[in-house]
Amino acid sequence: MFESCMKIRHQFSDYLDDRCGHEERRSIRFHLDHCASCREDLEQMQAIQAELRGLPRPQVPSGLGLQMRVRLSQRTHRRLFSEWRIRFENALRPFLLPASGGVLTAVIFFGLIMGTSFVPATTFPDVPISIVTPARLKELPPINLGDDDQAHVLLIQVDAAGRAVSYKTLSGQVSPQLTHRLDMVIYFSTFDPATTFGRPTGGQVVLSLRRITVRG
Amino acid sequence: MGTARSVGVALEQAVPAASHEAALVAELRAGSEEAFSYLLTVYQNPVFNLIARIVFNDRDAPDVLQEVFIKVFRGIRHFHGECSLKTWIYRIAVHEASNHRRSWLRRRMREAFSLEDDGVFPEAILARAPDQPETPYEVLEVSERQEAVQRALASLAQPYRAVVVLREIEGLSYEEIAQVLEVSEGTVKSRLMRGRELLKRKLQGCLRK
Repeated sequence: MFESCMKIRHQFSDYLDDRCGHEERRSIRFHLDHCASCREDLEQMQAIQAELRGLPRPQVPSGLGLQMRVRLSQRTHRRLFSEWRIRFENALRPFLLPASGGVLTAVIFFGLIMGTSFVPATTFPDVPISIVTPARLKELPPINLGDDDQAHVLLIQVDAAGRAVSYKTLSGQVSPQLTHRLDMVIYFSTFDPATTFGRPTGGQVVLSLRRITVRG
Repeated sequence: MGTARSVGVALEQAVPAASHEAALVAELRAGSEEAFSYLLTVYQNPVFNLIARIVFNDRDAPDVLQEVFIKVFRGIRHFHGECSLKTWIYRIAVHEASNHRRSWLRRRMREAFSLEDDGVFPEAILARAPDQPETPYEVLEVSERQEAVQRALASLAQPYRAVVVLREIEGLSYEEIAQVLEVSEGTVKSRLMRGRELLKRKLQGCLRK
């Protein structure tokens, strides 16, 4: 007894792809030998299969291969930098608005604060506060050196209050009378004290004295 | 049948052997342009053929082909050899062509269109069959038959058409088709059976006059 045509036709697809077992293939062939309708059905499927396999194959348009190579090459060389640039920009983007707002706010507040706390210009002369200044002679009383024509160089120690503390003679011979006169001169002299960063401090003053004769 | 077999043999020879495939993939991952040129040389024709059969408007096939190879090049780092390179490329091609076809149909749904105008490849793009008929009558007959087959194929629903194209035209095995379409072999078998049945109905009386 033959299998039904429906069941046999259900196996045609496997039969065409050679996926039937030995027994199934034998059964199909036996059925086809005795069933013209199924044989015609299978022949139609084989004809369609042949037509499909014989269809002209669309060809890649000329130039498309080269176009793709160029496009890929461009992407290869571009993506290394562009990817990192895009990542960097994306990473910064969330901070862009807050940072801009913060800077703008800071500038506005700084302007407001500076505008309200305006410092007027002083009427006093500027005091050099950022340098070290030596002690200077401010006022020297008259002195009579007598007949001594040689120069006398003195090293005077000045305290922070601008007063002479001590002195010593660096050159020149000093007689007891001249020593007394020099004591009086230095006692009544006034000095500007030395300063360090604007603060008065002790220092030294070198003073050179020489007799000058004016004829007239 | 002779034509089909010669095409199949030529393709098998062109596709790189499994032993060379790993080296090719390594080169592609390293960004070698020479490797990509080789890949294009081997696969651009079969992939273009596959795409042209799936997209509705064949004039878009070159654009889709470009997109496919761009994706292949970009995605090669994620290819870990779970399937063959050929199967992987075909999978991308089928996805890309199917997506393109869907978007194209959505666009065309707004406009009036005729199935008669589309799905048939322009003469300029078709390669001539090796066993070309001799007489003008035979030329016309073969041309009309092929046109009818292509129209019938184009009118199949996407799942059936993809399986039929991959099996009958590209010559893939059931296992490979299952990997390309990411379905089971049973599904491939049933879709192929249904697709062949539909084609037979559409071409009833056309092939046997």
